[in-house]
Amino acid sequence: MSKSTDEQVNRRDFMKTAIIAIGGVIGGAIGLPAIPYLIGPAQKQDSEDWVRLGAVSKVELNVPTLFKTTIETQTGWINAEEEFSVYVLTENGQDYSVMSNICTHLGCRVRWIPDQESFFCPCHNAVFAKDGTVVAGPPPRPLDQFEYKVEDGFIFVKRG
Amino acid sequence: MNEQEKKSYLQRYKEAKEKGVPFFPDIIFKDAVVSLIVFLILVALAYFVGAPVEERANPNDTNYTPRPEWYFLFLFQLLKYFPGNLEVIGAMILPGLFVILLLVLPFIDKSPKRHFRNRPFASIAALAVVGGIGVLTVLSVMEAPPPQEAVVVDHAAALYIKNCANCHGENIDVPPSTDLHQVIAAGTHEGMPAWGGDLSTDEIDQLVGFILSPNGSAIYVQQCETCHDQMVQAVGNPLELQRVFREGENYPGHEGVDVPDWNETLTTVERNALLNFLAAPDGQRLFTINCAGCHGQGVAFAGTEEELRTLISQGGHDLAMPAWKGTLSESDLDTLASYVTDPQSEPAGDVLFGQHCAACHGEKVPSAPDKESAIQIISRGGAHMTMPLWGNILTQEQLDALAQYTFEVSRGEGTGLGATLFVEYCTACHGQFGEGGPNPSLAGDIIPPISTSEYLTTREDTTLRNIIAQGQPNFGMSPFGDEHGGPLDSTQLDALVAFIRSWESNPPVDEPPIFQTETPPPTPEVTAPTSEPVPSLTGGQLYTIACASCHGAQGEGGIGPAFNTQEFQDQYDDRALFDIISEDHTATPMVVWGEHLSDEQIQLLVEQVRILGGAIPTEPSTVSFSGQVVPLFQAKCQVCHNSQTALGGWDSTSYEAVTTTGNSANVVIPGDMLNSVLAQRVAGTQGAIMPPSGKMPDAEIQIILDWIAAGAPEN
Amino acid sequence: MAANLMNWLDERLGWRSVWEAIFLRKVPHVNWFYTLGSATLFLAVTQGITGILLTLYYVPDPAHAYDSVVYITTQLPMGWFIRGLHHWGASAMVILTVAHLLRVFFLGAYKYPREITWITGVFLLLIVIGFGFTGYLLPWDQKAYWATTVGTRIIGVAPGIGEWLLRVARGGSELSAVTLARFFGTHVWILPASLLTLLGVHLYLVIRIGISAVPEKDE
Repeated sequence: MSKSTDEQVNRRDFMKTAIIAIGGVIGGAIGLPAIPYLIGPAQKQDSEDWVRLGAVSKVELNVPTLFKTTIETQTGWINAEEEFSVYVLTENGQDYSVMSNICTHLGCRVRWIPDQESFFCPCHNAVFAKDGTVVAGPPPRPLDQFEYKVEDGFIFVKRG
Repeated sequence: MNEQEKKSYLQRYKEAKEKGVPFFPDIIFKDAVVSLIVFLILVALAYFVGAPVEERANPNDTNYTPRPEWYFLFLFQLLKYFPGNLEVIGAMILPGLFVILLLVLPFIDKSPKRHFRNRPFASIAALAVVGGIGVLTVLSVMEAPPPQEAVVVDHAAALYIKNCANCHGENIDVPPSTDLHQVIAAGTHEGMPAWGGDLSTDEIDQLVGFILSPNGSAIYVQQCETCHDQMVQAVGNPLELQRVFREGENYPGHEGVDVPDWNETLTTVERNALLNFLAAPDGQRLFTINCAGCHGQGVAFAGTEEELRTLISQGGHDLAMPAWKGTLSESDLDTLASYVTDPQSEPAGDVLFGQHCAACHGEKVPSAPDKESAIQIISRGGAHMTMPLWGNILTQEQLDALAQYTFEVSRGEGTGLGATLFVEYCTACHGQFGEGGPNPSLAGDIIPPISTSEYLTTREDTTLRNIIAQGQPNFGMSPFGDEHGGPLDSTQLDALVAFIRSWESNPPVDEPPIFQTETPPPTPEVTAPTSEPVPSLTGGQLYTIACASCHGAQGEGGIGPAFNTQEFQDQYDDRALFDIISEDHTATPMVVWGEHLSDEQIQLLVEQVRILGGAIPTEPSTVSFSGQVVPLFQAKCQVCHNSQTALGGWDSTSYEAVTTTGNSANVVIPGDMLNSVLAQRVAGTQGAIMPPSGKMPDAEIQIILDWIAAGAPEN
Repeated sequence: MAANLMNWLDERLGWRSVWEAIFLRKVPHVNWFYTLGSATLFLAVTQGITGILLTLYYVPDPAHAYDSVVYITTQLPMGWFIRGLHHWGASAMVILTVAHLLRVFFLGAYKYPREITWITGVFLLLIVIGFGFTGYLLPWDQKAYWATTVGTRIIGVAPGIGEWLLRVARGGSELSAVTLARFFGTHVWILPASLLTLLGVHLYLVIRIGISAVPEKDE
């Protein structure tokens, strides 16, 4: 060994510092990402979204048109797929009314009976008119309406 | 290695250690540096390459090329050289021996030599093993193709298989001009359910597209489904679709997307198949998507179907609106302008619109933002909104379907087929709304109403269909199905049944009206069904339905006044006639037709009354019984009215029988056209029209009427 | 202050002698190839940490395994990083372990007195391969499923008891939820326990006997 003891000591100090530094870098590189990784799910906000129903051109004039979309509610990796069905009615191709297909009585699904020009709920024989108003049966109020918007030829509704 | 060698090794190692360095920090520093490098490589890989996730595991996917992890690839390559029973060598024996060799290596190789140059055999053997593994791995990578992309599923085909294939098999042969969307949504009356409540409109459209163009569905899966996982995203609008082909990468939705030039990669046939899939050649849907925006629910068109097709395909470059200024008064212009600005505000505009605009605009009232611009547009006319050249946009199939549908709608066919057939074949006996009446074939028998909800709920479609097809000979109803010798084919029968069935939810007749066989039947109290618009009928047909029972088939009068007199024709102008027909008449039993008929139809009736006015009876011409009447009887009557069957007690086979038989009265009363049952029946003035299969041509009716009027001579 | 604390601890823990025995011991001059073992150890620790982090979200069930992996990769903040490190770390483990083995082989370090160290090392290599094989299935994607299908099929080649062994490995005749569960259990319990045990022996021997010196050519 030609190096002097002083040089040896300096070199070893440097190496010690370097080892600590490298350890810090690697530890930080794993440890810091681990924090958001661990608390991430707590930070997630529930968002209220516009749900796209489909092309406006699919809505027939004067006939309530059924649109079905599946809404994915995600909790972690569990994707609950909720089927979301609405009837869209337009009388002039410009103004729409988006109606829930859930009977306001006890929540059965109503369906449009073309021959009778009305919605029919099979559970208690409720009948709703084309615009969703109650014609017969027990429902306390007309079919629920959704807020909607039309963008780029697609119709969207706001859930909730 | 003997004891001596061991000792010498330990001695040398001790010396090396003493000359060495402390483990910390010298050695650890090196370790840390290498670890850092390794870690940085991993971070780079994680950042730039990432951890791949393929499609979810699909045990049923037989197309996936299974490949092990890369460090097992050599083993797999090795297996290829040990086929069949030898496989166990490559799979177990060789790897097993290798591991055992590694484990016992220190006990086999006991030589004290440590440096690899001093151990040429071991070193070369090791290099050979490493090299061999490397070569096998490379070979494996080269030979096995990279895993294919998972096969994408044809959603439309899946829908079809799930919902339709059970009954319909692999494909459905759809007759042209079928409104397939409607059929699927509402079901048919042959046990097919209405899917409208279970499938969304999009899904039904997919199905229609698939049924009409299965190849298009396959092409869609190939070309589009990578990005458009559902058809939802592809607008079924032919205008947009053509733009996609024409503009390629420049199409707004495809900007920045690496789309192929479909005009190059797909043949015309394939492109058409794709278009047919996305916008199915389904006349009604095409009309709704493409035409309803301007034309409402239908177009008035008087030409042939071929002309209509040409018009649609060549577009409306010449369809400029005339300048209405000058043609219309200022106040009319003003009314129309207010009407198109806000239809509610100007009820009078409805009439004006109907007179001047509806011929081109159909039922759809164009909307104008404000009155000023509306006045300007109407006054100036011009090509303010021209029709696209659909020939460049639609495929042949789509064009055909659209033209056919539009044509049929313009003629009141299509969806109204059943209603038309009913008027043609059934109203004679069953009344316009199925209310029934005295049985023309069976004296004293009353045909009960067939349009009550009670009647319809207790009879299935097949029952109704059988009754119509096979007739009810006991009650004098002749068979109508073509397999039983009648005039209606299977489709027409279905349409008829469907029309009758449509009453079930909205019965036009609540209870059977009371008929008296002796006195002329009062006009049945009927309500026009709201859901079934009265099909477009000619003035003559309307007259027969609405007026002839009281006013006579030729306007000769009956309960109501006669029209075929000069005084009547001079007494009222058209406006007055129109009002008389449409308005209420408290003093007479005349129906308030304004409640049942549209203004256009009443206008037709006015015209018909004028026509009849021109047909003032002249001197009866000489008609030959044997030459003209007998052949008619033979052709039209003798099937039912012969000496054996003699329905209604009438025998039409000889002059003797013709003039002397009949259940209630003699069927032919020479010289008395009004009271001769034969005249009433063939002209449709009273009771049901004969023959039941439909009214005879006017010329033939005239022969019989003239013959009776002339005193029914046997000449 | 710090020194007092260290003394106080040393009186009770005796850490200074351990520190001196492990870290301040003298070792021969060695070249950079001798860092491969330490790098492998470092990777093992990293894999342990990232692996533990992954188990916080991973679900070893066919219905959710894929979804949870996708969730980790795409939804969780830094999830892609943790999983990326673990994924590439697995391959790096295999490479470094084999490289370490080759270094030991070519420099004759498996010879007296380090035979046991070598044997534990060979077992550690098998464990590393076992980690790779069991871990590969866990994402339950196409690649994982089919690689494991063909990988386990090799076991079935064994004469006589092959079919039975295959059923044991898979927990049935086909890859199933049982396979996934036992692969997961092996990956996070059996193999780490084995690894720690053997690694303990391996490191104890390395420290006790000392790192081998670079052999001289003329020796």
